[in-house]
Amino acid sequence: MRAGLAPARRAWGRGGAGGRGVLGAFCVVAGLATVLAACGGTSSTSGAGGGPANTSTVTFAMEPGGLASYPFPFMTLANASADSVFNVNDFQYLLYRPLYWFGEGTTPYLNTTLSLAYPPTYQGHQVTIRLKSYYKWSNGEPVDAQDVVFWMNMMTAEGSQGIYYSPTGLPADVSHVKAASKFVVTMDITSAKFSEPWFTNNELSEITPMPMAWDRTATGPSDCITTISACTAVYNYLNAQSTLSPSTFGASPIWGVVDGPWKIQSLNSLGKLTVVFNKQYSGPVAPRHITTFIEVPFTSEQAEYNVLQDPTGSQIIDVGYLPTVDAPVPPAGASVGANPSSLPDYTLSSVYAWQLSYFPYNFKNDTGQAPIFDQLYFRQAFQSLVDQEGVIAGPLHGYGKPTIGPVGDYPLTKYLSPTLERLGDQWTLNIGYARQLLASHGWAPNSAGIDTCVHPGGGPADCGPKIPSGAQLKFNLIYPTGLDWMESSVRELASNASLVGIQVSLSAEPFNQVTGTAFGQFGESWQLAEWGSWTYAPDYLPTGDELFETNAPNNAGQYSNARNDALIAATLDARTSSEFYTAMYNWQDYLAGQLPVVYVPDSPTLMETIDGLNIGPQNSASTITPEDWYYLK
Amino acid sequence: MTAYLARRTLQAIAVVVLVTLIVFVLLSLAPGGASVQVLGSGSAHQQFLAAYLTWLGRVLHGNLGYSSRLNQSVSSLLATSLPRTLALTGTSTLIALIVAIPLALVQAARRNSAVDITLRGLTYLWYGTPTVVLGPVLILFLAVHWHLFGAEGPQAPGFIGVISDVRDMTLPVATLALVTIAIFARYLRSSALDSLAQEYVEAARARGAGQRRVLAAHVLRNSLVPVVTLIGLSIPQILGGAVIVEIVFNIQGMGWQIYQAVQDRDFAVTLGFTLVIGIGAAIGSLLADIGYAALDPKVRYTQA
Repeated sequence: MRAGLAPARRAWGRGGAGGRGVLGAFCVVAGLATVLAACGGTSSTSGAGGGPANTSTVTFAMEPGGLASYPFPFMTLANASADSVFNVNDFQYLLYRPLYWFGEGTTPYLNTTLSLAYPPTYQGHQVTIRLKSYYKWSNGEPVDAQDVVFWMNMMTAEGSQGIYYSPTGLPADVSHVKAASKFVVTMDITSAKFSEPWFTNNELSEITPMPMAWDRTATGPSDCITTISACTAVYNYLNAQSTLSPSTFGASPIWGVVDGPWKIQSLNSLGKLTVVFNKQYSGPVAPRHITTFIEVPFTSEQAEYNVLQDPTGSQIIDVGYLPTVDAPVPPAGASVGANPSSLPDYTLSSVYAWQLSYFPYNFKNDTGQAPIFDQLYFRQAFQSLVDQEGVIAGPLHGYGKPTIGPVGDYPLTKYLSPTLERLGDQWTLNIGYARQLLASHGWAPNSAGIDTCVHPGGGPADCGPKIPSGAQLKFNLIYPTGLDWMESSVRELASNASLVGIQVSLSAEPFNQVTGTAFGQFGESWQLAEWGSWTYAPDYLPTGDELFETNAPNNAGQYSNARNDALIAATLDARTSSEFYTAMYNWQDYLAGQLPVVYVPDSPTLMETIDGLNIGPQNSASTITPEDWYYLK
Repeated sequence: MTAYLARRTLQAIAVVVLVTLIVFVLLSLAPGGASVQVLGSGSAHQQFLAAYLTWLGRVLHGNLGYSSRLNQSVSSLLATSLPRTLALTGTSTLIALIVAIPLALVQAARRNSAVDITLRGLTYLWYGTPTVVLGPVLILFLAVHWHLFGAEGPQAPGFIGVISDVRDMTLPVATLALVTIAIFARYLRSSALDSLAQEYVEAARARGAGQRRVLAAHVLRNSLVPVVTLIGLSIPQILGGAVIVEIVFNIQGMGWQIYQAVQDRDFAVTLGFTLVIGIGAAIGSLLADIGYAALDPKVRYTQA
């Protein structure tokens, strides 16, 4: 099970800013790029005053914090902190293609064109994967069934160390993995019940074929492909190769064997990555595509914006990101507003990541607030204090969509319940309703204006079980530093809460501190923790087993609800597509009203693309395909 | 003089050891398994002293840890980022000295004149303007609007790569230097005024020395004594200012890396760099003492 935590905004991750992984794999940022040159010796791709000067190169700025650092696509806990949406999507995926590619147009769906294999077929409990015979490694060898088995064997040997390891997931839920022929892999699914869509989108999505050239150790070729016990030594060798100085990657015989459209030319210790087009790439590319792609890291949104605004600088960014606070408000019905006047040579576009924006209550809080969070009336009252539309119109400058349930609702996908889509945001700001809910359940303001439980007990007009008389509605909300719009939104929430007698004290902390806290690394004294969003990648199906099921590893608030668990189980057991969607909708329709988390607005990434460069629509799965980018003549 | 230097060096070593101890205590206290992240699993169960000595042993062997986030050793990261920070802070400090010395001497020589009042006002303004404000203001006007200089710092690797990129180096250096000029000029002016009131200055004038000669030959050297100390003791502040400047101008120096490491809970980098900065401050202080002694014989005679 993997997915990503995305900090609220692009300060941390493209398309939702997110990171991807569990606990340690929080998303970071994607960004802008740059070329440089000392003292006028620029190699910039664009000339001042607009118009590209070099039509073969694109400089892409990473979002703040984003970094390419670790090339080996089999990541374990040892390198968990290098795992991010940027290191994976913007670096590894350029070189080594996943078996199944997600991101089609602007959707997060399976992309059959860019995948290395045709969609899997299921017969009983056996799944068959047919690889496309025309994909080749850069050393001329075909991308074949053995490469998939190699990955599976490595997973069997080292999977328990894997960042995304789940005792019930790959490889535990399959057996008899074999290369049935040169380009066909079969495996038996061991679970008594399983869902085909889930298995394709959340299990097979994790596989990245590895070349035979990697089946070796320092002493020579190895045999991980057939002997699982040999895989540990192979893993150790490859991991060691991946932790050598980044300056060695460009000339590495290991990392130089790629099946993706790009090869490393250089990665310097400052994090500047240059990849060049892999002429042996056998997948689709645009005519007149670019041949050099450069990624450059930044620490702050403002620094990126400064560089974007300086078209005469030594570093020209061709594709970068615009801070939301600097974006002009879009007119009604438009996805973006006018470009800022300081960026006359760029075109503005927005990309909504495939993610869910929310923040959890800590239902296992050990400082006395957990019984309060257990009460549905309280969660209803609290959600009624979140002014999603106000935040979108205000701090987000019109760039955002309200979150309406436990599944991301924008971009609109077939996964979203039609009922929820029709109902929209059922919890718009309603301070009077919140006040009435609390008053009718035994809360009254004390002399300091803070609501205090005056009717303890489990009756319908009481505060609720385990809430003692005199308990107060006082909570601490931690949130990440550095995001202006989030700062404004939590202050507004605290202000609204104070109107009904709830005291929300705010603490801004570094992003990883917030996520570390929310996932229990520092105990259970936290009460509310907002980090932004959860990015659905590389588990692209928004089933609730990752975020809302009892004891799910990414269920930060440890929400637990037996009926919810049963409905989630139904989605995982739904064999066919139609059964699956029915189960998905049933689950969402129930859980949306249970408010297991606080829904907050989802905001897009705002991209600036230099005029004359065509990068096509960017997909919400946060995967990029620079081989499709080209300059217009 | 030798005994004085030896004693000062021993004191500096003691300070550095103390710095390592403080850093290690902070490491041990940091939440979220910081010590495990830096020292490896099992370290949490070691006795504090044993763990400290293990860590110190690694540090003494040049092993400052490994950043799995950046997939680099802290030492290699330091080798990359330190020259960039030194280029920034060294250049700005040098420029600050070059500008502040004549500025202060002019102010002292023309005390309470219009020139003095104007320069005093300017130095107050620079002194009171935080780098986090000054940097973006300079970018807004000089880079974004008028395109005279780069909106970000040099991106070329290495010390030479940084200092040779004059266009991109100007604004970050100016941001850091203006504040430093203000500090140096204030101290120097005050020190020069003291020197001008000394009898040896009166004697020099009586011997017919002109104003320039008095300032250059008699006032300057004596006025520099407190400034030398100030430079040494300013190293932590200068590096602190460099953190902000490097973030504002996207210069991947030590400050940039520390900021990012703190955000990402990358303890190996945070602690390794903190240690290096602490050592740098101790060395700066030592050099200041040596310079002080060299400039003022009374110091080495009375303390030897």
